[in-house]
Amino acid sequence: MRGYSRRGFLGMAGGVTAAGLLAACGSNTGRGGGSGGDTIEQWYHAYGETGVQQAVERYAKAYDKGTVHVQWNPGDYDSKIASALAASSGPDVFESTLRVDMVRSKQIVSLDDLLGDARSDFTESVLASHTVDGQVYGIPQAVDMQMLFYRKSLLQKAGLQPPRSVDELIDAAHKLTTGKVKGLFLGNDGGVGVLAGPALWSAGLDYLTPDNKVGFDDPLAAESVGKLRTLFTSNSLLLGAPADWSDPSAFTQGLTAMQWTGLWTVPAVQKALGDDFGVLPWPALNGAGKASVPFGAYGSMVNAKSKKIDAAKAYVKWLWIERGDYQQDFDLSYGFHIPARKSLAAKADKLKSGPAADAVRFVQDLGKPSNPPPWTAKMQLALSDSLNKIVRSGGNATTELKNTVTQVQDELKRLNG
Amino acid sequence: MRLPRGSDLSGLRLQASARSAAFWLFVAPFLIGLLIFNYIPIGWSAYLSFFDAQGTVTPDTFVGLSNYADMLTGPFAQSLLTFSVFALFIVPLTFALALGLAVAVNRIRFARTFFRSVFFLPTACSYVVAAMVWKLSLFSGVRFGLANTVLDWFGQDPVAWLSNPDPPWYWVVLVTARLWLQVGFYMILFIAGLQRIPDSLYEAAFVDGAKPGWQVFRHVTFPQLRPTSIAVLLLSLIAAYQAFDEFYNLLGTARGYPDFGRPPLVYLYYLALGQTQDYGHGSAGALILALLIALVTLAQGRLLGFGRQEA
Amino acid sequence: MDKQPVGLRPGVVGTSLRYLALTVAALLFLLPFYLIVRNGLSTEADITSPEWSLFPSSLHWENITELFDDPSVPMAHALWNSLVIAVLQTGGQLLLGSLCGYGLARIPYKHANKIFYLIVATLMVPAAVTFVPSFVLVSSLGWVSSLRGLVIPGLFAGFTAFMFRQYFLSFPRELEEAARIDGLGYWGTYWRIVVPNSCGFFAAVAVIQFIGSWNAFLWPLVIGQDEDAWTVQVAMSTFLTAQNVNIHELFVAAAVGILPLVLVFVVLQRFLVRGVAETGIKG
Repeated sequence: MRGYSRRGFLGMAGGVTAAGLLAACGSNTGRGGGSGGDTIEQWYHAYGETGVQQAVERYAKAYDKGTVHVQWNPGDYDSKIASALAASSGPDVFESTLRVDMVRSKQIVSLDDLLGDARSDFTESVLASHTVDGQVYGIPQAVDMQMLFYRKSLLQKAGLQPPRSVDELIDAAHKLTTGKVKGLFLGNDGGVGVLAGPALWSAGLDYLTPDNKVGFDDPLAAESVGKLRTLFTSNSLLLGAPADWSDPSAFTQGLTAMQWTGLWTVPAVQKALGDDFGVLPWPALNGAGKASVPFGAYGSMVNAKSKKIDAAKAYVKWLWIERGDYQQDFDLSYGFHIPARKSLAAKADKLKSGPAADAVRFVQDLGKPSNPPPWTAKMQLALSDSLNKIVRSGGNATTELKNTVTQVQDELKRLNG
Repeated sequence: MRLPRGSDLSGLRLQASARSAAFWLFVAPFLIGLLIFNYIPIGWSAYLSFFDAQGTVTPDTFVGLSNYADMLTGPFAQSLLTFSVFALFIVPLTFALALGLAVAVNRIRFARTFFRSVFFLPTACSYVVAAMVWKLSLFSGVRFGLANTVLDWFGQDPVAWLSNPDPPWYWVVLVTARLWLQVGFYMILFIAGLQRIPDSLYEAAFVDGAKPGWQVFRHVTFPQLRPTSIAVLLLSLIAAYQAFDEFYNLLGTARGYPDFGRPPLVYLYYLALGQTQDYGHGSAGALILALLIALVTLAQGRLLGFGRQEA
Repeated sequence: MDKQPVGLRPGVVGTSLRYLALTVAALLFLLPFYLIVRNGLSTEADITSPEWSLFPSSLHWENITELFDDPSVPMAHALWNSLVIAVLQTGGQLLLGSLCGYGLARIPYKHANKIFYLIVATLMVPAAVTFVPSFVLVSSLGWVSSLRGLVIPGLFAGFTAFMFRQYFLSFPRELEEAARIDGLGYWGTYWRIVVPNSCGFFAAVAVIQFIGSWNAFLWPLVIGQDEDAWTVQVAMSTFLTAQNVNIHELFVAAAVGILPLVLVFVVLQRFLVRGVAETGIKG
C-alpha cells in the first residue's frame, strides 16, 4: 500500500485537472446559439457577389439594441442549416427557404406578429412561399430568379436566333460549340440540380398540384427530362468548370456561349461583356407547356431552439421590415435581386432597363416559385436522385420517375396523413 | 484471500481488494469513456433504427423493421454493392503497388531513405488537400486541368472527369487519389515485414539453386510476408468501406451530392445530417454497415489468419 | 543494408531499370505537392490560362499574407483549432490508453478478461461508421461546435488501449520487479519505470495520433458547424465545395495546412516509421 495510495490520489487529482481543462476549453467558442451570451448569431449562405458579406456585417453592426455576429457559410448551406437546427446548436437568426417539415418538427417560430402594416407591402406570391397554414415563418429578404444568359455576338456569328423551344436550345448549343468554347453551361451536374422545376414547367407540369398531389405523374415529364439527357450527351454542355452555375465566371471567361444562372450576376456580366449578352426564360417543351423562370426568396427566420427568441425577432423586424434603406442596398448594390416589397421595387431604377428589366418581366409573366413549402427536402432528394440517374447515367426516364412518384406519395402520406 | 496465479510480481503482496482498486484506477477512466462514447451511441442508434425518427432523436412512432427493409432495398444497398466493387479494385491495386514499391526500395543501396520518404510523404497529406489537388488541378474538367492538357497533346477532347458518370471516368480520379494517399503507408508496413525476414532463408534459397528475382520472391519473400499481407489486406479493405473524405470533397457540391460514386458513409451523412434529418433510416444504415464491416473483419481473419503457411 | 547474398542481387541493367522506375514513380508522387506550391503562388489568371505551364509566370508570395488578411477565411483560427485539438487528443489518448493498457496487461483482476473483450469488440466497428449515433449523443449533450465535442469523443479509441496492452505485455518484467523491491506500487512503477523506458513507443504512437487528428475530417465536419469551431480541414473543404472557388487562395491554404505535418515527417520520421509498423501490424 505504501506509496501507492498517495500517488494514486495525486494522479486522480491530475486526471481531474485535465478534465477540467478540457471542459474549460470546451466553452471557448463562446458564441453560437446554444451557448448563451447576449450575442445574436446570424447565418447567411455565401453570396458570390463581392461586397455582400461586408454589407450584411455592416447592417449587423448598426443594430443598437444588441450585438449581432454574422457567420458566412460557403459550401452546402441547406444541409448545414438543417443539421444545425436539429442539433440545438444552430444560429438564432438565419436565412432559408421554407419547407413544411421545418414547421412540423417545430424548428422555427411564427413571425406573423412582426409584419403589421408592412404585410400588404410584400409581393403576395413571395410572402406565400414563406407561409404554412396561414402563418408566416420567414420575412422575405430579396427575390432571386434564374434565367438563361446568351452571348449576342456568338449567336449572331452562328446565324442563330435566341432559342424559343427546348429543341431550338439543343440545336443552338450544338452549333455554338467550337473547339474550346462550349455551347451551354447548366452547372457542373448538367443542370440536374437547378433545372428540375423548369423541366417540369416547360411541359405544363409541376412538383405538386394545388391539392397536394404529385404533379409530374405524366409521360410528358419523362420526355422533358429526356431533353436534358439529350443535352448532356450532345457534347455541347460545359462540365467540370471551376465555378458552378450560380457564378458567372464560365460565361464571362468565354468558356461557354450560353449559361443558366441568375439575375444576381447581371452587374458582373455587364462589367465583363458590356451589352454583348441577352437573357431568356427556360423555353417551353411543346404547346402544353410554357416558358418559365424559377423565382424564390430567402426569408429571415428565427430558430425555435434559440435562447433569445424575442431579441432575435426584434432584430429580424428591424433589419428586414424597418430598414428599407438596407434592403435597397442589399437588393441592388452588389448582385441584382428584385426587392420583395412593392414600395422598394417601384424605386428600383437599376431594374428598369436592359436585361434586368427583362428579368423582372419574366418573373411577372412566367415566374414559378422554386421552393414551394409543401415540397420537402426528402421529395427533392428523390427527384434529384432520379434526375441524376436519367440525365447523367442514362437511366430509363419512365421507370425512374415512376419510382420517384411513389416515394413522393409516401412522403405526402407521412406528412399529411 | 488467495492470490490469483500469474501475479508473480514478487515483492508485492497487496490484498486483492487493493489490487482491484489499482486496476480500476488504471482502467476506469478509459473504460467509462468507452462506454459513454462507443456503447451508448450504438445502443441509442439501435433504438432509433426501429422508429420513424425524422428530425428528432426522441421519436414515438415505432415502425419495426421497416427502416432496415428500406435501407436494404434502396440506394443504400446500391451503395454497399458499389463499394464492394470499389474494394475489389482498390485493395489488390494498393496491395500490389505497396508491395512493389517496398521490394524495389528495400533492395537498393543509394538514396534508399530518399525514395522511402518520398513515397511515404503523401501520408502527411489530408484527404481534403488531395481532393483539392485532384479536383482543381489534376483532373479539372476544363481546358486548364493537367490531365486534359495531356489529352490535348494527343489530340483528344477534354474529359469532364467528375461531372459525367457515363463513361465513369470519375473512378480514375477517385482511385488514383486514394492510391497516392495510402500506398506509402502500406509500403512502410511491407518494408518492416521485409526486414524481419532472416538472411539465412535467402542464403538457403541460394544454396538450393533458386534464381534471383521472381523465384526467390515467390518461394521466400512472399510466404514470409504473410502476416504483413494479411494486415494490409484487412486494413485497406476496411478503409475502402469507410471511404468518405475524398469522395465528399471531390463529388460534393454546394447543392449536395450526386447519386453516383456515393459511399455508404456519404449516403448516411446526407440522409441523417443533411436536409432530410432522417435519424431512423440513418441509424439503421449505420448498424448495417457496422455489421458488414465486423463480418468482413471476422471472415477475413478466419480465412487468412488461421490458415497454414504455404511453400 | 542489402540483406541478400551477392549472388541474389540484380545486375547492372536490373539496377538501372529499378532506379529509373523509382525515379519516375517518385516524380509522380511529388507532382501533387509541386502543384500545391505552384498554384498557391500563382495568380488566378495563370492557373486558369488555357496554355498550361509547369512554372507560373511570376511568384506571388503576397498570396500568403493575403490569405491570413482575408476576413472571410478564418484560416489562422482554423490552424489554431487544429493544433489544440491534435495536441489534446494526442495527449489524452496516450494518457488514457496507456493507463488502461497497462492495467489490463499487468494488474491481475478477475474481470480483466471481460473488460478486455469489451474493448476488443469495439475494434470491429470503426468509429467513422458510428458517426450518426455519436452525433446524436454529442448533440444531445449540447457539445456541437465546441472544443469538447471535437476532442472528447475521440479520446476513447479501443485500438489505442489494445495496442498499449500488447506493448506492455512484452515490456521486460525484470525492470518492474526491481521497482517493486524498492517499494513502489503499481502507480509508482508505471510512472517512474515503465513510462520513462517506453519513450520510443509513446513517441511513435503520438506521432501517428497527431497526424490522424490533424487530418481528421468527418467528425470535425459533423461537429464543427460554427465557423469558430472549424479545423483546417473543414475550412478548406468548405471553400472547396463552395459555388465559386478562389483557386490560388485554396492552394495557399493547403500549403499552410500540410506544412506542420511535412515538418513532423522530416524531423520525426524515425518514430513515424516505427509507429506505422507497430500500429499497422498489430491491427
